[in-house]
Amino acid sequence: MPPAPCHRLSPPARALRALPLLLICAACEGRQSALDPAGEDAAVLLTLFTVMLIGAVILWLAMNGMFYGFTRVHRSQISKTTANSIVIGGGILLPTLLIGALLGWGLSILPDHQKPGDGLRIRVIGEQWWWRVEYWPEGADTPVISANEIRLPAGQRTEFTLTSDRVIHSFWIPALGGKMDMFPGRETTLSLKPEKPGVYRGQCAELCGASHAWMAFEAVVMPPGEFDAWLEQEAAGAQPAEGTEEGRDIFFREGCAACHTIRGTQAQGQVGPDLTHVGSRHSLGAGRLGVTMEEFAAFVTHTEDLKPEVRMPAYDHLSEDERAALAAYLKGLE
Amino acid sequence: MTAENDTEHGQPAEPEKDRELAEFAEERESLLRITFAPLTWALHFVLCYGTVSLACIKGLIPLPYTRAGLIAATGLALALIALIGWRAFVQWDVRRTGDFTNPEGHAEHRHQFLGHAGFLLAIISAIGVIYTGLPLFILASCK
Amino acid sequence: MSDRNGYPVIDRSRRGPYPPTEEMLAEPVPQEEQEAQQRRLREVWATPKGFRYWTAVNNTEVGVWYTMTAFAFMLMAGVMALIIRVQLAVPENDLVSADRFNQLFTMHGSAMMFLFAVPMFEAISILLLPGFLSARDMPFPRLSAFGYWCFLIGGVFVIGSIFFDAAPNSGWFMYPPLATQAEGPGSDIWLLGLSFIEVASIAAAVELIVGSLKCRPPGMRVNIMPLYAWYVMVVGGMILFAFPPLIAGDFLFELERSLDWPFFDPERGGDPMLWQHLFWIFGHPEVYIIFLPSIAIASMIVPTVARRPIVGYSWIVLSAVGTGFLSFGLWVHHMFTTGLPNISLGFFSAASESVVIPTGIQIFAFLATLMVGRVKVNLPMLWIAGGLAIFTAGGLTGVMIAVAPFDFQVHDTYFIVAHLHYTLFGGMVFPVIAGVYYFFPFIRKVQLSERLGRWAFWLIFAGFNICFLPMHLTGLKGMPRRIYAYPEGLGWDWLNMISTVGAFIIAAGFAVFVWDLLRPKGHQPQIPRNPWGGGTLEWTHDVPAENWGVRSIPHVHSRYPLWDDPKLLERVDAGRYYLPDSKQGQRETLITSVIDAEPMQVQKVTGPSWISIWAAIFTGACFILPTFHIYWPAAGAGALAVACIIWWLWRDTARPPEVERKDVGLGLSLPTYASGPASVGWWAMWITMLGDATGFASVIFGFFFYWTARPDFPPEGAAHADGLMIAAAAILLLSSWALTLGARRLNWSGRIAGARIALGVAPVLALLGAAALAASVLHLSPSSHVYPAILCAVVIWVGAHTGVGVVMQLYCLAGSLAGKLTPNHDADLHNVTLFWHFQALSALVACAVMGLAPLLLEAPA
Repeated sequence: MPPAPCHRLSPPARALRALPLLLICAACEGRQSALDPAGEDAAVLLTLFTVMLIGAVILWLAMNGMFYGFTRVHRSQISKTTANSIVIGGGILLPTLLIGALLGWGLSILPDHQKPGDGLRIRVIGEQWWWRVEYWPEGADTPVISANEIRLPAGQRTEFTLTSDRVIHSFWIPALGGKMDMFPGRETTLSLKPEKPGVYRGQCAELCGASHAWMAFEAVVMPPGEFDAWLEQEAAGAQPAEGTEEGRDIFFREGCAACHTIRGTQAQGQVGPDLTHVGSRHSLGAGRLGVTMEEFAAFVTHTEDLKPEVRMPAYDHLSEDERAALAAYLKGLE
Repeated sequence: MTAENDTEHGQPAEPEKDRELAEFAEERESLLRITFAPLTWALHFVLCYGTVSLACIKGLIPLPYTRAGLIAATGLALALIALIGWRAFVQWDVRRTGDFTNPEGHAEHRHQFLGHAGFLLAIISAIGVIYTGLPLFILASCK
Repeated sequence: MSDRNGYPVIDRSRRGPYPPTEEMLAEPVPQEEQEAQQRRLREVWATPKGFRYWTAVNNTEVGVWYTMTAFAFMLMAGVMALIIRVQLAVPENDLVSADRFNQLFTMHGSAMMFLFAVPMFEAISILLLPGFLSARDMPFPRLSAFGYWCFLIGGVFVIGSIFFDAAPNSGWFMYPPLATQAEGPGSDIWLLGLSFIEVASIAAAVELIVGSLKCRPPGMRVNIMPLYAWYVMVVGGMILFAFPPLIAGDFLFELERSLDWPFFDPERGGDPMLWQHLFWIFGHPEVYIIFLPSIAIASMIVPTVARRPIVGYSWIVLSAVGTGFLSFGLWVHHMFTTGLPNISLGFFSAASESVVIPTGIQIFAFLATLMVGRVKVNLPMLWIAGGLAIFTAGGLTGVMIAVAPFDFQVHDTYFIVAHLHYTLFGGMVFPVIAGVYYFFPFIRKVQLSERLGRWAFWLIFAGFNICFLPMHLTGLKGMPRRIYAYPEGLGWDWLNMISTVGAFIIAAGFAVFVWDLLRPKGHQPQIPRNPWGGGTLEWTHDVPAENWGVRSIPHVHSRYPLWDDPKLLERVDAGRYYLPDSKQGQRETLITSVIDAEPMQVQKVTGPSWISIWAAIFTGACFILPTFHIYWPAAGAGALAVACIIWWLWRDTARPPEVERKDVGLGLSLPTYASGPASVGWWAMWITMLGDATGFASVIFGFFFYWTARPDFPPEGAAHADGLMIAAAAILLLSSWALTLGARRLNWSGRIAGARIALGVAPVLALLGAAALAASVLHLSPSSHVYPAILCAVVIWVGAHTGVGVVMQLYCLAGSLAGKLTPNHDADLHNVTLFWHFQALSALVACAVMGLAPLLLEAPA
C-alpha cells in the first residue's frame, strides 16, 4: 500500500462543550420560554428535558471521547473479541436499556396533556391570523366571547377545545405546557394547569400563511378570585369611556362594525375579532402591538405593513385627528 | 477447456457445483429470508396501529379487548421472531466455527453470514416489538 | 431438440470452467493481444466529441453531471438560507416580505431534500457503484441519462420559480388546506415539478438495485460485497416504498387543485390529515434515505483509514437493513401534536426510539474498526470525524424529541431546526464532502488540496456549530419555525444574531471548498493509482483515465481484493480476467447471479444517444405545462414522450442478438440473451412494479383512512359506483391478463399465430374493461364529496395503468410481427406479463373496494 497522508485528528466539536454552560446562563428569561415554566405541565417537561440533556451530554462525551481516543492514541493492539463486545455492549445492551427506561417514563407522562379539567373550558378557534376565544364556565350554556387573549385561573386545570376556520394552526403557551394543532372541521383537546400568576406569551406554531409570525396572544394567569371577577366583567357589554363619541362615530362611519362586534352597540360583525373589551387587553392585533393610543392608531393605518395579507384594510385615509379619536374610542373599551 | 455438450436439450442444466456448493446452495429467496424478522415487526406494528385506530377513532372495538388482543399478538410476534432468530442462529453455526466475520468468498461463509445477519435482525426486531408493546401496557385509554 | 413446434431450444447455460483456477490466471496474455484488446475497448467506450458530448450515457459522464447539478442546486438553496438568516438576524426586520420569506424557506427545504440530498445519493452511486463492482457501466445507461435530464429540467423549473416570485410558499411539507388554498402556480410547481423528479428518482433507484444485485463481478457473493452495495440495495428499496405514497398524495392533491375534488377539504368530507400521513410516510424514511448512503461512504473510508477490514461487517448489514425497516414506523412522530390517540402516539414514540439502536450499532462498528486498526488519519477521515461528532449530537436530540411529551414543547420550534440540521449536516453533508475528497482521485484523477480542505473543514465545522447550536436554546425559549419576523424582548435577538454570523462562516467554508473543486488543476502531478491505500475494486481504475471502467472484470474472493490478492491488479490490467475485449464492437457488461455472483450472461448495454434527452424534454413538458393550465399541449408532449421511449426500447433493447453466446475469457462461454427472471429487465420491471403497487396501496389506504377518520364516509344516501359495470370491468381486465399470460405460453411453445391472436384480443378487452370501469363512476360528481372523488381517483389510477398495459401488449404484438419477439427471444413478453400480474391484482383490489366495500362499510357499526 502506498503511504496515506498522515494527520492528527483535531479535537472535534469544541463548541458543543459549551452547551450546558450556555443553557445555564441564559435559560431563565422570556415570557415565551419552555425553560421558565409557570405551570405543572411545563414543569414536568422541563424536568424530563433536564434529565435527558444530562444523559445526552454524558453519552456524547463518551462516544466522541472514544472516537477521538481511537484515532489519536497509538496503543497496543486490541483484540477483535474486545471490539465485538464493545459493539454488543455499547451498540445494543446499553441503548436498549437506557432507551427502554426513557420510553417508559415518556409514555407514563404522555396522557397528562389531556387530563380532565377542573370545570372551566375554553374553546379557541384559529383564524387567519388571530384567535377567537370562548369561555365556557362549568354549567354555562352560552359562552363569554373574547379574542386574542387567554385568561386562566391559577391552580386549576383548564380544558381547551381547539379548532380552526380555514387552515391548520397550533396553539402553544410554552410557559404552561406543550402545543396542540387546530384543524378546520375537527376538534382537538388540550388541558393546562398554570401555577404562577403572570402574563405569558403564546404563539401559533404551525405555518398558516403570510402573517404566521404575527399570530400570537397574551396568556394571563390570575388568582382564581380575580379571574372570576374578570370573567364577569368580560361577559358584560361594552362601556365606552366618556368623551369618545367622535371615535365611535368614525368606527361606524368607516364600516368597522361590518366585521367587528362590540357587544352593547350596533356592531355585530363576525369576520374579525370581538372588540367589546379590547381596551383592557394586553396586546393588539393578536400580539402584534401593545395597547397604547399610538399603537391603536398605528394598527388601523398601517395594517398591511404590520400584518401582511391580513383581511382588514388599512384606514390610512383617516386624518391624524380622526385616527386619534378612533384610537381613544377603542382604548376606552375596557 | 472443452464446452460441455450435455445441456443441449430441454431445460438448461444446473450450473455445475461441487459438493460443498450443493450443501449450502440457496435459492433466490435466501436474501429475502433475512428480512422475515423485520417483516414480522412491520406486520405487528401495522396491526397495532390499525386496530387502535379502529378502536379509538372509529370506536369499533372496545379498548380493553383491543389491548388484550394486541398484547397477545405481541407475544405471538415475539415467539415468531424467536423462532426465526433460532433458525438463523443455527444457520450461522457460530458455536462450531467461532467465526464472527465470515469474510471468505465461498459458499459456506456466505451461508453462515446470512444466518448471522438474520440472527442479528431478529434481535433488533424483537427489541422493536417489545418497545411497540410498551404503550399497550402503560397507556390504558385513548386520550 | 425441436420439441417446440419447430423452434430449436437455445442453450443458455454457462459453459466452461468456473471458478478459474490459479494456473489459468497465471497464464500470461500476449502483449500484442493486450494492445489490440485495449484499442477495441477504447473505441467502443469512447465518449462522444463536440456537441455530441451531451449524448453520452456512460456512468462516468452522467454521474459527474448529476453530482455537479445536485451540488449547484445545493449552493442555490444555501444562498436562500443565507437570505433567511439575514432576515432573522435582528427583530422586526423587513429585508424580505412575509410572502417572499415563505417562498424562501419552502424552496430551501424542498431543494435541499428533493434536488440535493436524494439526487446526490443517486448521482454518487451512479458514478461510483460500477467502480466498486468492477462493472463497465450501470445495467441501463440510457435510463441513467434519462433520469439525469429529467432531474435537470425539473430542478431548474422548480428552483427557477423563486426568481419569478412564483415559488411555492406553504412549507416543504405543503400541508393542505394552506397549500390547496394557496393562490398562484406555486403549489402546482411543487406538486408537478417534484413528482416529475420523484419519478426519475425511482427510475434511478431501480437501476441501482438491479446494478448491485446483478452486475457484481464473478465470485463477489453477498457476504463479501462492498458495504456500499448493501446500502444501495437498502436505500433503493426504501425509495421504492417511500416515494410512491408521496406520488399518490401528489396525485390526489393535484386533483384537488385542478378539478376541485375535495380530498383534503373537511367541508366536503375530506381530511387534511391524509396528506400528513402520506407525506410523512415518505418524509421520514426520506431522512434515512439521505443518511444511509452517507454512512455507506464512511464505511468505505473507515477501513482504509484503519488499514484493517471493517469490524462487524454483518453488524453493519444488520444495521442498514434494520434501519431501512424501522424507519417506516416513525412517520407519525412528525404528527405528535395533531391530537391522535395517545396509544397510537406511543407506538410511534416506541418505533422512533428503537431506530436509535441500529444506528448506534453502525457507529460502534466504526469505533471498533478504528480501535483494532492502525489508524492513519487523512483529510477524508477528518470530515468523517467531524460529521460523526455533529451527527451524534443530532441523534441524541432525536432521542429526546422521540419522547412524545417533550415533542409537544419543541415541535415546530427552532429546537427542531437545530436537530434536523445536526442530523443532516453530520449524517449527510460532512460524509459526502469526505467522499468527495476521498474519491476525487478516482473520479478526476487528481487530488484536491489538503490545505484548502482543512480550511474548508474548520470553517464549516465551526460555522455550523455557531449557527445551529444556539438554535436549540432559541427553540426552547419559544421561537417557532417559519416565522419571517419576531418582536424584540423575548430573548431571541442575540441568539439569532449569533446564528446568522455562523451561517456566513459556513458559507465561507463552502466558498473555499467550491474553489478547491473548480480551480484549474492541470499542472498537478499525476496521482498514484491508489492514493489512500484502499482495498476495494474501484482503485483498479486506470490513471490516466480510460472510459472502459475496468480493463477486465476480475474474479474476487474476499472483501478487500486489493489487499488480499497481490496479483489482482496486474492481471486486471493484462486483461487476464473476464470480458477483456469487445470483438463485436458493442458495449457489454457481465451479469451474475444474485446471491453468489456466478457469471450468467453477457449483457449488451446501450451507448450514446439523443433519445434520452428528447424523452426527458417531452416528459418534462407533460408535467410542467399543466402548472400553467395548458392541458392539450401537455397531452401532446406526453404522447411524444411515450413515442420517444417506445422508439428507444424498440431499437436498442431486448433484440435477438447476432450471436447467441460469447467467449468471455478464461475459457468461459456465456449466453448473450436472457428473458424472464434471468434477465436484468425482468428484475427492473419487478422492482418498478413493487413501487407502483405501493403507490396504488396508498390510494386504497386513503379510502380506508376516510372511512376510519370521517363519520360521513360514505355519506348517507350517497350514490355508489355501478356494481354491474364494476363486475364487467373486473372480468374484462382479468381476461386481458389471462390472454397476456396465454400469449407468453403460446409464444414460448412456438405457436406464434396463437400468441399473436391473444396479443391482439387482449388490448381490446383491456380497453373495454377500462371503459366499463369509467362507466361505473360516470354518474358520480366527484367535486361534491370525498367519497365519489376517491372512487374516481381509483378509476383514473387503474385506467391509466391499463393504458400503459395496452401499449405494452401492442408493443409485443408489433415485436412478434417484426421478428423482434420470437419463441426464443421473449424477454419483452415476460416483462409485460409481469406488469399484467400486478395490473390484474390492482384491478381486482380496485373492483372489490369500489363494488363491495361500500356495502359492507355502510352497515351500522
